[in-house]
Amino acid sequence: MRNLSSIEVPQLEKPQVSMVETANTKMLTATSLVKYFYRGTVNEVLALDHVDLKVDSGQFVCIIGSNGAGKSTLMGCVSGYSPPDHGSTVLDGRDITMWPEYRRSKLIGRVFQDPLAGTCASMTIEENMALAFRRGRRRGFRSGVTKNERELFRASLAKLDLGLDSRLTDQVGLLSGGQRQSITLLMATLIKPKLLLLDEHTASLDPKTAELIMKMTKQLVEEERITTLMITHNMQQAITYGHRLIMLHHGRVILDFDQETKSKLTVTDLLQHFHEVAKNGADSISDRMVLG
Amino acid sequence: MSFFAFTGAIEQGLVYGLMTLGVFITFRVLDFPDLTVDGSLPLGASVSAVCITAGMNPWLSLFPAMAAGFLAGMITGILTTRLKLLHLLASILTMTALYSINIRIMGGRPNVPLITKPTVIAPVRELVSSFGINPWLASSFLFLAMVILVVCILIWLMRTEFGQALLATGDNPKMITSLGVNTSFTIVVGVGLSNSLVSLCGALVAQNQGTAEVSMGVGMIVDGLASIVVGETLFGGRRIVSRIISVVLGSIVYRLAIALALSLKIFKATDLNLITASIVVASLCLPKVKTYFQSRSYRAKID
Repeated sequence: MRNLSSIEVPQLEKPQVSMVETANTKMLTATSLVKYFYRGTVNEVLALDHVDLKVDSGQFVCIIGSNGAGKSTLMGCVSGYSPPDHGSTVLDGRDITMWPEYRRSKLIGRVFQDPLAGTCASMTIEENMALAFRRGRRRGFRSGVTKNERELFRASLAKLDLGLDSRLTDQVGLLSGGQRQSITLLMATLIKPKLLLLDEHTASLDPKTAELIMKMTKQLVEEERITTLMITHNMQQAITYGHRLIMLHHGRVILDFDQETKSKLTVTDLLQHFHEVAKNGADSISDRMVLG
Repeated sequence: MSFFAFTGAIEQGLVYGLMTLGVFITFRVLDFPDLTVDGSLPLGASVSAVCITAGMNPWLSLFPAMAAGFLAGMITGILTTRLKLLHLLASILTMTALYSINIRIMGGRPNVPLITKPTVIAPVRELVSSFGINPWLASSFLFLAMVILVVCILIWLMRTEFGQALLATGDNPKMITSLGVNTSFTIVVGVGLSNSLVSLCGALVAQNQGTAEVSMGVGMIVDGLASIVVGETLFGGRRIVSRIISVVLGSIVYRLAIALALSLKIFKATDLNLITASIVVASLCLPKVKTYFQSRSYRAKID
C-alpha cells in the first residue's frame, strides 16, 4: 500500500495519540480512494486521486484544503453520499464501501454545513431527538417518543445551557440556526457513533456561535472519545482543535501533521507549507506515475 | 339549499374525506405530489364491486380493494425511487395504466352495477330507520364512523416510530437518511398507504351510489387538494393531530361550498369545474389577503 503522505511530506511522522488508550486500533481505513466527476467528458475532474487515510479509534482529525481539493468528495465516500469509483472504505472492521448511505448511517453521525439541514423544521425538538435516538435501530410501531427518552433528552439539552431543555415540544423551525446546529450535533452523538463526520459545521454561523459550537464539539467528542473527521476552512480552528491535521490538494493528501507538530504551527506556517507543496506538485505527480 | 343538498354534501364530504386523508399523506406528509389517485379511486370501486358480484361480503370486499390501492401506490413509489422517474410523471403513468386495468377488472366493461347487490350501507339503513331516523342519513352515519376510525388510526400511526420516519422523509430526506432510514422504503409504503385509503373511498362511493364506474376518478386529485387547502386555511394547525382533523373538515366544507354554489340559480351542473377551481384559488389567496390587511393596519398604528 502506498503511503502518499510520507512520499510527499518528509516532515511527516506517524500520528501519536497518547491520550487515547486504543491508539493502535484503526477505526477508519480508507484505501486508495479514487473518484472522478464527469468521467469520459471534456469536463472530467479527478476529485480524489488514490487517497489513503487511516484514522485511529478516538482520534479527532481536522481536514483542510482549498475549494475543489476533494474534502467534501472524501466525506461523500465515507458517508456513502457518493461512493468512490475505486478503493475501499473499512469502518470498525466492516467493509462499507458498497453500503448504501442509509445503512452506513447506523455507524456514522453527521453534522452538515447548512444548520437547517440536520433537523426537521416541522417536528418538535423531542421528536427530532427521538429520530436520532433510533439511529441504527428498526423503526416499528412502538411510540415515537417515550417518557424515559423525554427525560434523557431534557438532561442532555440542559448540558448545552441554551435554555432548550424547557422547549422540548417546540417546533425546531422556530429556533435559530445556531440552536438548530447545536441540536444536530447533540443528535449526531446521542447514540455514540463509530465515526462522526463534521462537514464545515460552523461555516454558516456567526463567529460567536461558531465558537460555541466548536467548544460543544470538543466537549462531546472528548467525553465519549468519538472518532471524528472535521472539514473546515478555518485554519486556526484546524490548528486549535483535534489530534491531527490533514491538508488535501487536487485530490491528494499533501500534509499530515500529528498533534505535537500541529500545536507548534501558526496559520502563516500552514500557508507556507501549503505553497511549498503546491509548487512541487508537478514533481510528485511524475514520481507517482513512475512509482504508481 | 335544500335538506337533501345539505345532507348530501355532508355525506360526500365525509366519504371523500377518506380520499383527502390519502392525498394529505402524499402531498403534505411525504411532499410527494401523487396523481395516482385518479386511477386508484375507481380501482378500489371496481375491485370491491367485482368481489361483491362474485358473492363476497361487502365489508370483506373493502380489504382486497385497499390492497389493490396499496399495490398501485407502491408501483408509483417504485417507479420514483428505483427507476428515478419524476414523481408527477410516475404517478401519471400509473394512473393511465390503471384506466385499462380497471376495465379489465370489471370484465371488459366500463362499469359494474351494484343496485341489486348487498352493500355495507343497506344494513345501516335498516338500523337507522328502526330508530325512527330518516334512512337517507344512514350513509352519513356510516361514513362518519369510518372517518373517525381512519383518523384515529392515522393519528396513532403518525406518533409511532415508523410514522415519525414518514414525517421526516417528507420534511428532510437528507437528514433522515443520515439517521439510518431508507427513504425509498418509507416513500413506497407511504404512497401505498395513501392510495389504499383512496381505494377504500372509491369502494364506499361505489357501494353508496350503486355502481362502480371507470370514470369516477376523473378530477379527484383536484378535489382532494382543494379540500386540503380549504381545511388548512380554515382550521389548520401545526401539530399533526390538528392537521389531520382539519383536512377532513376541509373536505366537508369544500363539498358544502360546491353544493351552495350549485344551489344558486346562476350556475349549471356543468359549471362544477369552474366552481372547483375558483374555490381553490380563493382559499389559496385568503391567507395572503389576511396578512396584507394585517400588515397594513399594523403600519397604520406605527404612523
